[in-house]
Amino acid sequence: MSLLKLQNVSKVYQQGQIQVQALKDIQLEVQEGEFLALVGPSGSGKTTLLNIIGGLDDSSTGSVILNNIELTCLKESELSDFRLFQLGFIFQAYNLVPVLSALENVELVTLLQGRPAKECRERAEHYLNLVGLKAMKDRRPSALSGGQQQRVAVARALAAEPRLVLADEPTANLDSENATALLDIMHRLSHEEKTTFIFSTHDQRVMERAERIVSLRDGQIYQDQVKGE
Amino acid sequence: MSAVFARLNMLMFIAWRNVWRNPIRSVLTVSALAGGVIMLILYYSLMAGISQQMIRFATEISTGRIQIQRQAFIQDQDLYATIPWQYLTQLEQQNPSLQFAPRLYAAALASHQESSTGVQIMAVDSQRERPVTKLLTHVRQGQMNLEQGIEQDGMTYAPVVLGYQLARNMGVTLGDELVLVSQAADGSIGNDLFRVAGILKPINPTFDRMGVLMSIESYKALMYLETGIHEIIVNFEIEPLQTSNSEDWLSTIQQQLMTQITAQEQAQPLDKLGGKVQVRNWREVSPSLSQMLALSHSMMLMTGVVVMSLASLGMLNTMLMAVHERRQEFAILRAIGMKRRWLLLMVSLESLFLALISAVMGSLLGTWMSLRFEHQGIDFSASMPDGYDWAGMVFEPVMHGLLLPEHIYQSCLMMLVISMLASLFPAWLSTRHRPAESMR
Ligand SMILES: Nc1ncnc2c1ncn2[C@@H]1O[C@H](COP(=O)(O)OP(=O)(O)O)[C@@H](O)[C@H]1O
Ligand SMILES: [Mg+2]
Repeated sequence: MSLLKLQNVSKVYQQGQIQVQALKDIQLEVQEGEFLALVGPSGSGKTTLLNIIGGLDDSSTGSVILNNIELTCLKESELSDFRLFQLGFIFQAYNLVPVLSALENVELVTLLQGRPAKECRERAEHYLNLVGLKAMKDRRPSALSGGQQQRVAVARALAAEPRLVLADEPTANLDSENATALLDIMHRLSHEEKTTFIFSTHDQRVMERAERIVSLRDGQIYQDQVKGE
Repeated sequence: MSAVFARLNMLMFIAWRNVWRNPIRSVLTVSALAGGVIMLILYYSLMAGISQQMIRFATEISTGRIQIQRQAFIQDQDLYATIPWQYLTQLEQQNPSLQFAPRLYAAALASHQESSTGVQIMAVDSQRERPVTKLLTHVRQGQMNLEQGIEQDGMTYAPVVLGYQLARNMGVTLGDELVLVSQAADGSIGNDLFRVAGILKPINPTFDRMGVLMSIESYKALMYLETGIHEIIVNFEIEPLQTSNSEDWLSTIQQQLMTQITAQEQAQPLDKLGGKVQVRNWREVSPSLSQMLALSHSMMLMTGVVVMSLASLGMLNTMLMAVHERRQEFAILRAIGMKRRWLLLMVSLESLFLALISAVMGSLLGTWMSLRFEHQGIDFSASMPDGYDWAGMVFEPVMHGLLLPEHIYQSCLMMLVISMLASLFPAWLSTRHRPAESMR
């Protein structure tokens, strides 16, 4: 059974007089546990697609079924809850709340989920440990390197125990060494935690880490490759 | 339950840290709000000080807290609407903790050399008057011993004390002779020769222009009125504003006196013409003073709203800037599942912290400043030694504030409410942006 199913998803942005077709007729099915890269040049629709999957944006037409739920039917507050419990997000930059330490940032989502404070603290420490940042747990984001910040974001996404983690160009601001290191952590955790990852990138070396590569061009999928096939 | 608390705790924690994110901006906001609170506390204590002074002046010098008169005397100064002396002595026996002063009134014509004018005679019993009002110590020139005759040219004259404007208008000074002519109670023309023993400080505009003070003995001799008195002034030892239940006290005592008098009216019936005996408090006696106090109350409220609204513009600006700067941060929080209402709560908590800090700072400083003002006062006696007379009210030359606890919490409450209202819009704004758009 698939975790995510997109059918005929299109997105048209109205920009003044002109209409921009950001996505056109997307069909995509993702199974549980996949480690999938969304690739394509800038402007090809990667962010738009991830936002629609994450319920941050609506599609113009088509249906998005995630974990047996049709997202287009959900109300604003239901979407909030859905994101809180089922999804993890990692963005390109500024992921973290600047006034909170690394540990508190990881705790944040689980506290919002309504878990007891003690459990949240233990979880946050556990996941920071998994991304190798135990020693940095009391630092504020401004005292962490870009790569470390992204690892905290990964820990935060996983601490919520989501079904699916969406990462929009998580390595875009990192040098290649840090980028591949981050991908390795994500890849390892996707296996250990049995969590599905969909991440976008236009970096060749990052792409290579993926098990499946979906290529976008002008808002359309033109290639869908599974490694080892 | 504990999980809800943990979540709230986290939101409070972030909000508190956010307060210190831009310290200069927060300090400026707090300064504006705390400054508003300080101004209000000072203003409120000044107004209370003035009100207290006005009430005290009115009640201690002439009106008293409570007045007892016959209905016909209240309505048209009916000379015959008197209260028997026994009423007074009985009230004195029944209420040892209260002080009573009898008074008698009459209209008369006063002349001195060429000038003559209509005056209002007020007769008091010095012994009883002194503990009740400060009328007899409120003297500008001369002496106030109304019972002691003045020896001059081998004759003994009864003394009178005049309102200061009357003395000036008639060109009368201490020791001058004054003739008073009036229609006495028996219908004859009463007239007597007096000597001016003293001149009063300002009391109230009517008395200042027309008042002539004399002893009850002199009055009886002039007016042939033996049946009783026109007015009983009652006072007691409670600060008018300082104690919050002084109003209850006033009405309790008023009630008590009314009951006692009704009983007396049954035991010793009065003539029909003079009407019932009325017990009125100073608010009923001087409705203009009471209205003015009510007016100053609503003025105080309005000033509070205006001052705090201006001060809250700082809050509005700060929160608008904060919310604008953190659009992306809020978008990410929303993306990871923060509900709109939590975000709203978080931003409101930040404003609340700013407002609470301002409340603490403002009330500490405001209290300190107004306590100093209460003790030292502002002294205008160099420019107006007699105080200041406005719309029938006389102000003392040294103005003192009066700080009451409610001034502090009212100012703080007003600040909290208005500044939180001002931050509602920014807080609401923070939840309006769609996360996908804010992140571009
Ligand atoms: N809010 C928007 N309004 C108008 N056009 C948009 C908006 N968001 C994205 N687009 C357009 O949609 C297309 C896809 O953008 P995007 O999803 O950001 O691509 P990518 O993430 O692959 O760079 C681009 O042509 C972009 O200009
Ligand atoms: Mg993009």
